[in-house]
Amino acid sequence: MGKPLNKSKLAHSANTAIQSVGALLIALILGAVILLLTGANPLGAYGAILKGSVGSMSAFINTLIQTTPLMFTGLSYLFAAKAGLVNLGMEGQMLCGAMGAAVAGAWDLGLPKFVHLPLAILVGVLAGGLYGLIAGLLKAKFGANEYIVTLMLNYVATLLMSYLANGPLRPEGEINVATAPVLETAQFTKLVKNRGLTAALFIAVTLSVLVHFFLDRTKPGYEIRAVGRGRLASETAGINIARTTMLTMFISGGLAAMAGVSMVLGVNGRYIEGFSPGYGFNGIAVSSLASGNPLMVGVSALIFGALRAGAMVLNMTQRIRPEFADMIQALVVIFVAMPALFQVVKTRAKKPETEPAKTAEKKEAN
Amino acid sequence: MGFSVVSLIVSTLRMSIPLLIAGMGAVYASRSGMMAMGVESMMLFGAFGGVFTSYFTGNVLLGFLTGMVCGAAVGLLFGLLTVRFRLNQVIAGVGLNLFMGAITTVLMEVVWKSSGNSPQVASLTQAVRVPLLADIPVVGTIFSSLSINFYIALVLLVITQYVVFHTPFGLRLRMVGENPTAANTLGIPVRGYKYTAMLICGGCAGLAGAYLSLDQLNMFVQEMTAGRGFIVLVMMALGKYTPVGTVLAALLFGFADALQINLQQAFDVPSQLVQMMPYIVTILVLTFGIKHVKGPAGTGKLPEE
Repeated sequence: MGKPLNKSKLAHSANTAIQSVGALLIALILGAVILLLTGANPLGAYGAILKGSVGSMSAFINTLIQTTPLMFTGLSYLFAAKAGLVNLGMEGQMLCGAMGAAVAGAWDLGLPKFVHLPLAILVGVLAGGLYGLIAGLLKAKFGANEYIVTLMLNYVATLLMSYLANGPLRPEGEINVATAPVLETAQFTKLVKNRGLTAALFIAVTLSVLVHFFLDRTKPGYEIRAVGRGRLASETAGINIARTTMLTMFISGGLAAMAGVSMVLGVNGRYIEGFSPGYGFNGIAVSSLASGNPLMVGVSALIFGALRAGAMVLNMTQRIRPEFADMIQALVVIFVAMPALFQVVKTRAKKPETEPAKTAEKKEAN
Repeated sequence: MGFSVVSLIVSTLRMSIPLLIAGMGAVYASRSGMMAMGVESMMLFGAFGGVFTSYFTGNVLLGFLTGMVCGAAVGLLFGLLTVRFRLNQVIAGVGLNLFMGAITTVLMEVVWKSSGNSPQVASLTQAVRVPLLADIPVVGTIFSSLSINFYIALVLLVITQYVVFHTPFGLRLRMVGENPTAANTLGIPVRGYKYTAMLICGGCAGLAGAYLSLDQLNMFVQEMTAGRGFIVLVMMALGKYTPVGTVLAALLFGFADALQINLQQAFDVPSQLVQMMPYIVTILVLTFGIKHVKGPAGTGKLPEE
């Protein structure tokens, strides 16, 4: 980045923060309007969401349980976006990761925990990473549109996992559509007794720092960002675009896979069909709200985790589906990316002498 | 045996119908330089709107009209977001898609107190018997088992081909898509053309959605469009953004879909594995089929002012 003036850097991060908070507020207000139109009481609903997410220790634990997978998928989307790639296949990569972890976690090899757990995680991450690599490969070698490929791969993965969980990997006499339970030696350490909050949360936090470090301080990280800024320029500079694209999609897929791994080895103890209420797609909103900053993914995931945990409680008391949380997230995705929305604030913060700022704004929009 | 050529052809045509209709709309959008990543959401909302009206009025025709209006509304919204508010087209498509997927589920709970699907509603059940056509031996059997929407799709094909390539409107539309700045200089209302294209695109997509919920089925099912809105875009690219090409490509997808259904019925293969086929076909087309196809040069661009 060279050495930008500290002042403008500060103004820039202030602006992204304003954009994020503003987008979230607008989304919540619009959500309230929609609730009002459907005949529900928005204040009551938001009150219930607050209570169900941070109203008690137990509620807050639920929030953290929901936060964990969201951090992984948020990091996954963010990572691909740094290379200018749109990974919409987090859902599929997550399912692959979950199945990989479930299979490896159920292997009875008599391994001690410090071998079995990392092994199960590794198998899951590899499964998701390789699945992400398919899209990266097709993009790098054939120029296939990664966002449509990854979307299509979501359907393929959902069907494949459904086949596995219904057929070959379903134990005899099992009533649920699920795989065999994961052994004790492959389960994440629970932070709270009998709850789904596990050490996976620490892995998520560690990974967000690692991702930040990787992108900011390492050579491949630099290359990924360079490709994201401009493919032609980076190619001229001697960066191997194909390799960078494939590496990015592999890591992005692996990060998404961790969401599934954390659910299987932490919350559910096996692969259960339909375990994800859309954690993969939620990653888009998580990354958007964090405005591409890996260190903010935790905060962003916490907000959406609270929203989801609250919405699940809301569903029990009122006739509002938990998908309400997805609706808010979709609105956030739209509003965060809307360059014209907070133009007034932006122009002022960037250039006090107004006039030339307008054209700069337009160029940025394109 | 469920595996006969005639039934395969019939189901090919049936499965293609939503893609044919939505594809014609997508041609207008892409020719105006819009990526139309939101087609999926337009279809989904059209499917919902159609069932909603049919449920409360019992009138299928009104249902189809509502579906078109709902789709057109989402289409215009996509246009406003990307043109007026300069939102990235991929983000707008993803955002709208997530939003429509979520809000239709939320509304299903509000309206029908159910989360997975709506109750059964009045729908199109009868195939259309075209007088002379129906009397031809084998061909007649095929054509008499198709719904009116198949013929609507054919009419749309003729209209689209004519409008896009043989009218002043079509010429300007294509100019807006190829070079918005030049079009703007000539005094063509670029934004107006893009909004119009999105309205048409949304209307067609809404109709295609209503076909899914009021013709192929008789209810709304959560996320029932199942990626067709994106498949349409791939098929359109395979068809080189021309109406005829898009129709041919849509038939290819329809065939893949029909084949999997027929395979399921004829052989004892796990349904999930054959259901993957249309998606894999789409990925293959995307990878090997459209490498040298270029969309309109001004795709995603707005005039420089």
